[in-house]
Amino acid sequence: MADAKPCHCHHGDAPSSRAKGDPLLEVSGVWVDYGEKNVLADVSLTLQRGTFGCLIGPNGAGKSTLLKTVIGLIRPSRGEIRSRARRIGYVPQQLPLDPGLPLTVAEFLSLKLTRSRWWWGAPGKGAMREKIEAQLKEIGADHLIDRRLGRLSGGEFQRVLVAYALLGDPDLLLLDEPLTGVDIRGGVSFDGLLHHLHDHRGMTILMVSHDLHLVEHLSDVVFCINRDLCCHGAPKEVLRPDNLARAYGHIPGMVPASDGSAFIPLGRIH
Amino acid sequence: MEWLLEFLDLPQMRYAFYVALIAGPLGGLLGSFITLRGMAFFSDAISHGAMTGVTLGFALTLARDLNDPMMQLIVSLFCVAMALLMAWLLERTTLQTDTIIAFTYTGSVALGMIMISRLRGSQGLEGALFGDILASSAGDVWLMAGLAVLTCGFLFFNLRPLTLAVVQENLARVEGFNTRRLNYAFVVLVALVIALLLRQLGALLISGLIVVPAAAARVIAPNFRFMLAASAVIGLVGAALGVFGSYHLDTPTGPTMVLSDVALLTGCLLVSAGASLCRRRQLRKARG
Repeated sequence: MADAKPCHCHHGDAPSSRAKGDPLLEVSGVWVDYGEKNVLADVSLTLQRGTFGCLIGPNGAGKSTLLKTVIGLIRPSRGEIRSRARRIGYVPQQLPLDPGLPLTVAEFLSLKLTRSRWWWGAPGKGAMREKIEAQLKEIGADHLIDRRLGRLSGGEFQRVLVAYALLGDPDLLLLDEPLTGVDIRGGVSFDGLLHHLHDHRGMTILMVSHDLHLVEHLSDVVFCINRDLCCHGAPKEVLRPDNLARAYGHIPGMVPASDGSAFIPLGRIH
Repeated sequence: MEWLLEFLDLPQMRYAFYVALIAGPLGGLLGSFITLRGMAFFSDAISHGAMTGVTLGFALTLARDLNDPMMQLIVSLFCVAMALLMAWLLERTTLQTDTIIAFTYTGSVALGMIMISRLRGSQGLEGALFGDILASSAGDVWLMAGLAVLTCGFLFFNLRPLTLAVVQENLARVEGFNTRRLNYAFVVLVALVIALLLRQLGALLISGLIVVPAAAARVIAPNFRFMLAASAVIGLVGAALGVFGSYHLDTPTGPTMVLSDVALLTGCLLVSAGASLCRRRQLRKARG
């Protein structure tokens, strides 16, 4: 078990493992209620600058709600969010898009670069176009610049959403289930992109994901949430069958792998 | 050349033409956002519900004149109230959008029919049902101009949050825009435009002038900016052709305007089908 915190015991300790730098984001004692329904109960966590944090937990556990609370879309009924980030980039969960929407990728991205309420599409050339091109190139999507948003595949749209967030020049990036609707090939290259952002740009990332392989592979610290913070720590310590069973309930077919970490029926990607 | 503009010698044709020149692009532009937001049925419901507003106006003003300013006010207030009610129900209940719209709209039409049966006869209502753009006055031209300034001002001042919200509402909210207030403001604007165009175009046809030019623009638009401009231009051309055609063919003006729009939409569909056929042929040629 090493130092993974078991369910319902400790809250609010900074993860001891692989902590880098100073705390960039501190969530302390946050409660969120939707009307009568309690969604988050006394969640505290700290994310150090430069770390890659992942939020895992069953559906409806409040992971997305926590991200939305951090970005300010939801106001907590109790508790506090302290962020030292200059700017926060937010990649929302992918929702179905009108396939006939004639908005092009360049136009969509120019919406992030314009500061006024007034906006009149993306220019064909000029500084804004160059900035958009450069951003798309960084994430390997420059061929999409004049495509329509509605015609993109799940993985392509996800990249464009990341580009949109990055154009705001954030030092904290929040990603809400970025791999929903992305096929396995898209998934592998998307994880390369996240690697790049974390390792080369030194971005602090907090990501909600159901893909435990990806979580194990990418993250420095994992927060397991089911209404409250079940446990947190380094991925090897958190992603163990006993912890997962506690958070998700029994998962049929999940057996411990030889190194003691959780083994999921689909196998591993390394 | 002269015969082209000869219809403008008649004052009633002249005012109708001016009103059409403003209402066409106005409907097209507003329609772009209505269709992008999936609200075509919503605007249709308001235009039909507006008939109840007219009946209410008849009962309250005792004057059976659609041009009466008091009448205009009552119809506008009724449409705005109905739009706000639908928007509020959409926000607060878990019912499906079309279910809410259907019951608000049939409910209001039913109420209108009961009120008509209580009033003596339904005369005057046909005017609101089918509209009469030829009855426009100079005052109506100014009213349309004011409405156009209001609509364009609202749409362009809020273009960025409106467009972001079409992609995903949270993206607009993260930028600090109050999307809830924007949604309500938008439905109020739609209700006002419909209420004030009712006399000219009639409850049955208004939706055509809002939805058809926007649909045509969307079919041929390579990007968003183009779609907005094209919806206004198609709305303008369709409306002008409608008034012009109705004079020379001696047909009712409102329906001729809608048919011109439908013809333009058909043209756009053909152009887009032809373009994709060409692209496919080129692709096949490139592959050998």
